[in-house]
Amino acid sequence: MKSRLSAPYGTLIDRESTIEFKFENKTISGFEGDTIASALVANKQWLLSRSFKYHRPRGPLTMAGQDANTMVQLPSAPNALADKEVIKEGMLVTGQNYTGSLEKDSGALLGLFSRFLPVGFYYKAFFKPRGMWEKWAPLIRKKAGLGIIDQQLKSPYYDKQYKFYDVVIVGGGPAGMQAAIDIAVHDCEVLIVDENPILGGSLNYARLDTEGTRAKSLRTELVNAVEANSNITVMTNAVCNGWFADNWLPIIRGNRLYKVRATHTILCTGALEQPALFHNNDLPGVVMSSAAQRLLHLYGVKPGSAAVILTGNNDGYGTALDLHDAGVEIQAIVDLREAPDYDDIAKAAVARGITVKTGYAVYAAHSSKASHITSVDVRKIISQGVCVDDGEIINCDLLCMSVGYTPAYQLACQAGGQLSYDDQSAMFTLSNCPDTLHLAGSVNSLWQIESVLAEATRTAAITSNALGFTDVTLGEAIPRGNISPNHPWPIFPHPKGKEFVDYDEDLTIADIVNATGDGYEHIQLVKRYSTCGMGPSQGRHSALAAARIVAAATHRTVAQTGVTTARPPFSAEQLGHSAGRSFYPARRSNMHYRHIESGAEMLQAGAWFRPAFYKQDNITRQDAINAEVRNVRNNVGLVDVSTLGGLEVRGPDAGEFLNRFYTFGFVKQPVGRARYALLTNEAGVVIDDGVACRFGDNHYYVTATTGGVDRVYQNMLKWNAQWRLDVDVANVTSAYCGVNIAGPNARRVLETVCNDVDLSSAAFPYMGVRIGSVDGIPARLIRVGFVGELGYEIHVPQQYGAALWDALIKAGSEHSIKPFGIEAQRVLRLEKGHIIIGQDTDAMSNPNEVQMNWAVSKKKPFFVGGRTLSELEKKPSLRSLVGFIVNDMDSPIPQESHLILEGNQMTGRVTSCSYSPTLEKAIGLAYVSPSSATNGSSIVIKSSNGILVCATVVGLPFYDPNTARQEL
Amino acid sequence: MKLLTCPLNGKRNISEFTYGGEYHAMPDHLTSSPRDWAEHVFFHDNVAGIVTEWWCHTASSFWFLAERNTITDEVIRTFKADEIYQQRVEFTAVASETQS
Amino acid sequence: MAILDPTTAPRRSQLNQRHVSSHALFKELGSNLVVSHYGDNDSIIEEHSQAQTLAICDLSTLPRIGFKGAGAPSWVEAQKLNLPAMANTTVLQGSGSLVAKLSDQEILVLSDIFAQSKDVFHLSEQAKIYHKNYDKQVYSLPRDDSHCWLAVSGTLASEMFSKICGVDLRTHKFSHSHIAQTSVAKTNAVVIRNDLGSTPVFYVLSDISGVEFLWDCLLDAMQEYGGYAVGVSALQRLTKEH
Repeated sequence: MKSRLSAPYGTLIDRESTIEFKFENKTISGFEGDTIASALVANKQWLLSRSFKYHRPRGPLTMAGQDANTMVQLPSAPNALADKEVIKEGMLVTGQNYTGSLEKDSGALLGLFSRFLPVGFYYKAFFKPRGMWEKWAPLIRKKAGLGIIDQQLKSPYYDKQYKFYDVVIVGGGPAGMQAAIDIAVHDCEVLIVDENPILGGSLNYARLDTEGTRAKSLRTELVNAVEANSNITVMTNAVCNGWFADNWLPIIRGNRLYKVRATHTILCTGALEQPALFHNNDLPGVVMSSAAQRLLHLYGVKPGSAAVILTGNNDGYGTALDLHDAGVEIQAIVDLREAPDYDDIAKAAVARGITVKTGYAVYAAHSSKASHITSVDVRKIISQGVCVDDGEIINCDLLCMSVGYTPAYQLACQAGGQLSYDDQSAMFTLSNCPDTLHLAGSVNSLWQIESVLAEATRTAAITSNALGFTDVTLGEAIPRGNISPNHPWPIFPHPKGKEFVDYDEDLTIADIVNATGDGYEHIQLVKRYSTCGMGPSQGRHSALAAARIVAAATHRTVAQTGVTTARPPFSAEQLGHSAGRSFYPARRSNMHYRHIESGAEMLQAGAWFRPAFYKQDNITRQDAINAEVRNVRNNVGLVDVSTLGGLEVRGPDAGEFLNRFYTFGFVKQPVGRARYALLTNEAGVVIDDGVACRFGDNHYYVTATTGGVDRVYQNMLKWNAQWRLDVDVANVTSAYCGVNIAGPNARRVLETVCNDVDLSSAAFPYMGVRIGSVDGIPARLIRVGFVGELGYEIHVPQQYGAALWDALIKAGSEHSIKPFGIEAQRVLRLEKGHIIIGQDTDAMSNPNEVQMNWAVSKKKPFFVGGRTLSELEKKPSLRSLVGFIVNDMDSPIPQESHLILEGNQMTGRVTSCSYSPTLEKAIGLAYVSPSSATNGSSIVIKSSNGILVCATVVGLPFYDPNTARQEL
Repeated sequence: MKLLTCPLNGKRNISEFTYGGEYHAMPDHLTSSPRDWAEHVFFHDNVAGIVTEWWCHTASSFWFLAERNTITDEVIRTFKADEIYQQRVEFTAVASETQS
Repeated sequence: MAILDPTTAPRRSQLNQRHVSSHALFKELGSNLVVSHYGDNDSIIEEHSQAQTLAICDLSTLPRIGFKGAGAPSWVEAQKLNLPAMANTTVLQGSGSLVAKLSDQEILVLSDIFAQSKDVFHLSEQAKIYHKNYDKQVYSLPRDDSHCWLAVSGTLASEMFSKICGVDLRTHKFSHSHIAQTSVAKTNAVVIRNDLGSTPVFYVLSDISGVEFLWDCLLDAMQEYGGYAVGVSALQRLTKEH
């Protein structure tokens, strides 16, 4: 590791602890704290991966985890950022996106054909003739992918946590730390989030003075003050990945996503250094000047031995001083400016005798080997973006670019801040942030450390005023300096191209210009057509150059071309963070374990677990269901109906309330009786049904569908917030467990455990309701024709559920009572022609269409949906829900959503269909045209694989049309 | 995520609430024209500006109203429904000739 | 202590399956069975100290009742109970029971954790007599059957809640006797801060049919901090410290 410098270089590494890992099967040695990239560069391995489209060799660019050049493959994760990922002993790392070997990638030949792969190429070439894309897609996707996903990988545990702060400061550089220190003198909770391993931001690597000591001392001072204040919490290695309404901030650290709510947010996100555009500006060894400084100061890595600095500002001179101090030979400083306005640092660099060429550009970079810079072609600039024909070749193994910055504007823009381009400073600037979002530091285009600190203090004062801690009068806003670090045109087109605007997507100047030539002039259209800014680094290094190029090509200002929208996430996030631990509430009846003990196969219906059917030895699922059906028809069965919705409607206006809410009349319903309750919405659409049981003058117990009850309850409350009737509605769905005991022997079984209610048909008729007890358990008994047999629904307080089940199973043992599941229940109810709301109805079904007009009262002053239904009555019906029987038992049984055909016309669809063990036929419900709705009509169903099935429309119910059995 | 202030439970994440549609006064269900009734049932004003909306705090099933600016998505205020609905609503009986 | 079998009791907590498989020992409080502790008798001391840091306890078989309606608060007050002045706060009664005001028209009454207070029983009996006709704007709610009742105790409880609940339940922001009606692990819940002795305790009342899911979520969330399930004996001991 010859290129390692000694301390104080390398603040992030521990030289005492050596770590070995593998890159492309070579053993690489680094220090604890090294990233993959810093360790590799220390070992002179600059080539990390190949580019997306042309498979060009790529190496570190920013050393800040902000670019896609450093994406490498780890066994557990593709697209790991090598300049972010810290090395671990034995780690296996490979490059990405190459065929053969990283050094000799046969795919790189694609680069030779690049002029045949213009922007928009895929759109133009592969979509004609029709169907071609399907053939090309697999090939292209294989060539142009990113990393490889290990599909066998067992996902680690990801989860989420909520956090609450008065102030969240994003970015722990000088501005962020200063603002935190100033606010935290008040009694409030402040969080600093920083994506780096340590606080300090640019103070960790930038040069603020000629001696190169100020940054370090200032950092120490600020970090000490932050650490000494218990009101400040610091999260490092944590990325604030977006801004959402009311300062809702997703912060990712490790495997946890923090959902942070801040009262105020201060963005001190800094600025991102931008590349210059020239031929081969993507060669490994061509880096941002801040990347070279990070290598030196954070990792103690000497990034080269002979460097050229391409600069358009004074910061490049600071980099030159840093490199020079570290023993790197500075071949030249190439300054784009004709007459630079030097600061002290620049003057110090000049004073060291470094060659400075003002008014010059790096026109091209060259490499004698394929994968590293060996020289640059430096030429005099004659006009914007144009150089003289002859250049000087300067040998180097490092080229640092320092031509300007873009504020890290993403979060501010997500918050509604406006990004605009200022021609004077040649820079994007932010304005119009919401009241609870503030900016400080270079994100707000302040570049001098004194201004940055002063503005942080001012922002802190604004924030503490807003939080009510202070009421101080604010001084003038800190002026943005009149010297901009941005050069307006560091863009030098080359006849051979390869001046990359977007490294992620391999887009060059010509690609952007051609996009405008193809008619896409707005920057948003250029982005979508060319894919510029759509890669993993989301335009962080391409947006500025692309905007300038589009503006020039369309003869407008940058401001006129617009900017693209910066949507969350700020950086790529792992699916685990959204998919990780999630909550899917599951509901169980009190009898749940009794079902499992009886062999039930459970299924989840909505949130509820319900028994589908009870498995029996040596018989198939279908036979088990058929047996359950027959046992109900011929003997007695027991089903858990605890999931059924239950609503207590109580009070002097209870009947009036139900009259207004449901379609039927309830005011005159006798106590002790149940009545069917059909619910329509204001559009007259059937949305729920149930049974209203009147237990007292002022007391109705109303059932609702399992899936619908929560909405029904909410609707009831909403209507009564308007009607203000003297009634109370309570959702008691979970408070009651229920069973339905049904079959010819139901009464005989129930009689043995219920002796306080006269169960005789005369005393307790069909549609009667009673209060009593079952085996000593307080119970509500409801005689409904749930499955079309003599049956009782028994509702008991929830915690008695299992005891009730036990009592009935025991009482029924003499009659061989058998539990039945939801599958048998559906068949039994279909045989009786009962519709299922949501399955046999849809978002358009009105009562008339589903043959439910009998449940709609026309004598009431008002009910929800009433007016709409009376309007609908004036119009012809468009369809009817009818019962049908499949003619031929050998036909396949149609399924839900199979189409009804009349000739070639689709006129309806099947909503339910099943084999009926009772009728020994396939029966079902379907919407058909009114002309086919009469009994005896023939209908044709297009079933699976296009097989046409003939069926006959019949009257409902299919079974026991006189309902004699349920009224026994 | 947006915050919404429930008059009963205070400021909460908007995921704790259920949207209940725009508030409007129901037209007379007997005398309004079919057109006006259809407007009420099927059309929404969708105003660019300040609208009044129904919201329900799901955990407590508490319905209330909110005034929101649909341009800025700013909630101007939230208030209990009894600010608007102060007394029992009565519906008159259907006149026999309107029955079909 | 006699070994009591919860699986044959008439009223059964939905969590019994989980308690039994964790070797719970039950004790009778009032007429209901509650987990006393898990494992052997030595574990009571350990559970007591665990309850001070982070633990969960099932109180679902203890008495509780609710009342709704415009007349409910004044009627409950007329039964000689002290009502909280503000909605979403509680008042501890001299009898040990806890009266919570969920809105201007809704009251919830919880038994003490020794089940010694007769308030819930008394209210329930009185309501059956005076409000059986539902004509006085007082409507009883079967909270003992509609809602489970879990207690999460300990100094780390609010940190644990921050993984599954979006309301800031840190002790300096959500003080003793305050209520949050909110969502815990995507389940609607009433969270009541009711410290026992000097230990922060949060009661969670939520849909009883989802209690197994919620129990598992809470256990999963507290695993990181070493929390686990304890019996009511540990909580009863907390009340003796100040």
